Amino acid sequence: MKKKIGVYVCECGPNIADKVDIDKIIETVVAANNSENVEIIGDRHKLLCSAAGKVFLEEEIKNKELTHMVVAACSPRDHNSTFINVCKKTELNPYLYKMVNIREHCAWIIPDKDKATNKAIEYIQGGVARVQYQTELIEKKLDTNPDVLVIGGGIAGIEAAISLAGKKRKVTLIERSAVLGGKSVFLKELLPSQAGKEYINKRIKDLTDNENIQVFLNTEIEKIIGFLGNFEIILSDVTNKDKKTEIKTGATIVATGFGLSDVTEFSNINYDTKDEVYTSLEIEKMLSEKGKLKLSSGVPPKKVGLIHCVGRDEKKYCSQICCNYMMKIANYFKKQSAKIEVKEFYKDLCLPHKDDQKLFNLTKKNGVDLVRIKEVSLNGTKIKYSRIDGTIEENEFDMVVVAPPIIPSDSTKNLSEILDIPLDEFGFFQEAHLSTNPVGTSTDGIFIIGNAQGPRGISNSILMAHAASGQIRTQLIPGEQIVPEVKVSEVLEAFCMGCKNCIDVCCYGAIYFDEIKGISVVNEAICRGCGNCVASCPSGSIRLKHFTNEQIYQEVIEALK
Amino acid sequence: MEKEFIPRITSFVCKWCTYTGADLAGTSRLQYPTSIILLKVLCSSRIDPVFLIKSYLKGADGVLIGGCHPGDCHYETGNYHTRRRFKILTEIFSTLGLPKERLRLSWISASEGPKFAQVSNEFTDKIENLGPNNARENMFL
Repeated sequence: MKKKIGVYVCECGPNIADKVDIDKIIETVVAANNSENVEIIGDRHKLLCSAAGKVFLEEEIKNKELTHMVVAACSPRDHNSTFINVCKKTELNPYLYKMVNIREHCAWIIPDKDKATNKAIEYIQGGVARVQYQTELIEKKLDTNPDVLVIGGGIAGIEAAISLAGKKRKVTLIERSAVLGGKSVFLKELLPSQAGKEYINKRIKDLTDNENIQVFLNTEIEKIIGFLGNFEIILSDVTNKDKKTEIKTGATIVATGFGLSDVTEFSNINYDTKDEVYTSLEIEKMLSEKGKLKLSSGVPPKKVGLIHCVGRDEKKYCSQICCNYMMKIANYFKKQSAKIEVKEFYKDLCLPHKDDQKLFNLTKKNGVDLVRIKEVSLNGTKIKYSRIDGTIEENEFDMVVVAPPIIPSDSTKNLSEILDIPLDEFGFFQEAHLSTNPVGTSTDGIFIIGNAQGPRGISNSILMAHAASGQIRTQLIPGEQIVPEVKVSEVLEAFCMGCKNCIDVCCYGAIYFDEIKGISVVNEAICRGCGNCVASCPSGSIRLKHFTNEQIYQEVIEALK
Repeated sequence: MEKEFIPRITSFVCKWCTYTGADLAGTSRLQYPTSIILLKVLCSSRIDPVFLIKSYLKGADGVLIGGCHPGDCHYETGNYHTRRRFKILTEIFSTLGLPKERLRLSWISASEGPKFAQVSNEFTDKIENLGPNNARENMFL
């Protein structure tokens, strides 16, 4: 069949029209490509993205029965989707259209009109060559399950579950321990000063009262397969491994919280269990349970030393919340009795929230001695430290509080294997992108929130819970289907030699190995179409649809002519 | 008089960073030479080393690869693979008797329009100094 390729050059007002000779471009492209098998229809338009421009293109496709279309205009980032939508109104498959950028990559960078015109011809020729090798692709629609699994019953998981649950979206929350609330249930106060326990307990009640949320305690995830919109999950009881529950969801949120490092693993911290040395969480527990901070003999302490930043240099990251809560703890002592002498030792202060300055001022006002140090060591309850000016001092305290570094929860490693989500250099779950998508992961439909992603306070954890639930709500609308990416890889069975290179390089786990046939197979629902596997395949048996070798070669060869 | 040598540089760039950086260079009305021929792929890890060799055989005077900065890949780890493949390819180039100076890999983010223009200018100057590609005569294959 003779190909009929429409080549349309957009004037983009004066943006393109003034910088290149559009008539010459059309004339040259038509003359260069018209042949026995190819007919080029070339035309220009004032503004193809305008309502009139879109109608013009639609009419051209229909009336001239185009088999392919090339639009030479602005960057595809601006209007590729505009012209795809034009194609969708016609019989022309949108994958038989190609956009060429002659504005940003041509008209705007080359002041000389002749040179710019030649450059535009070169690009359009590449586009005309490529479009002839493009093939129709059909978008498929998949039914989705809007339900969500939340792993972890700490404050982040609770907030995410409550935020998501509704008539049309059921939530299953699993917690491997026997109680909900995570570490936050031990906190006497949340910062800046609202009641802690009451808030957490209220949210636990909101969770358990919600008829759209099912809570499984003493439960872990054992297996998960599937992709965004369709996950199949097996849960198992921690106390009885044979007791299994199968559920189906559309998305999963990982909110597994944190662990605290054993401070004695650091060489500068040495004490015995009988010494009056406590971690910050132990202080919170003591206050919650006994109502007062006392030494083990039952008398209140007179002189307390607080050490920040324990293990920060070894762990190579800041735990973010310690400065904040150590001041809170200092004020616990001062509130109990203004006579208690409190000294805080810190290397740097990390006070990022808007109310932190107030807390800092209050702490100073309450008479807490804040000492900036270079080095510190603890022996029993004796603290030796070097001030920032180099002077070395040593003080004996009757109680010492240390801030241990936040570390990944001990379930993280195992969970990373089950979920196939990589860990970062510190052992926390690796986010999709630190700045632009900190709650996403390498797998669509699996999200990480709270301390599972890295150290952070309660407010930030809640923020992440809402961020993830927002993404889920837009990605999985109850009753609506999703259109998976069609520009995906496919393995040509006959050529695959089963080396599994592609499986190694795929960071989405989108390729699995068919043991019977001895070949790799792409799961199209998971593949994102980066094409890494194609370049890794020694036998050339993987094809990335819409970015095939042939399509790219044709564009290169034509552009180089 | 001898005709002026205008190099042809096939530039394989990823959609997310370098292509967008090139867009920004255009939007900022920065100038860079017509030698640069932009070819878009979704991720720099799609760039098969064969593309570079093929470009040479078809007469490209230089090949530029542009991707996201390490750690910024839209596809998690794609550009790390690109980096390894590029390293191996430069070795192979030497083995084939080709000057590996004609290959360049640059990390150019979406916000680095000026860097895109600068890299394009620098690399074009370099290729102009090296002269036209005579790969077809020298290639061992």
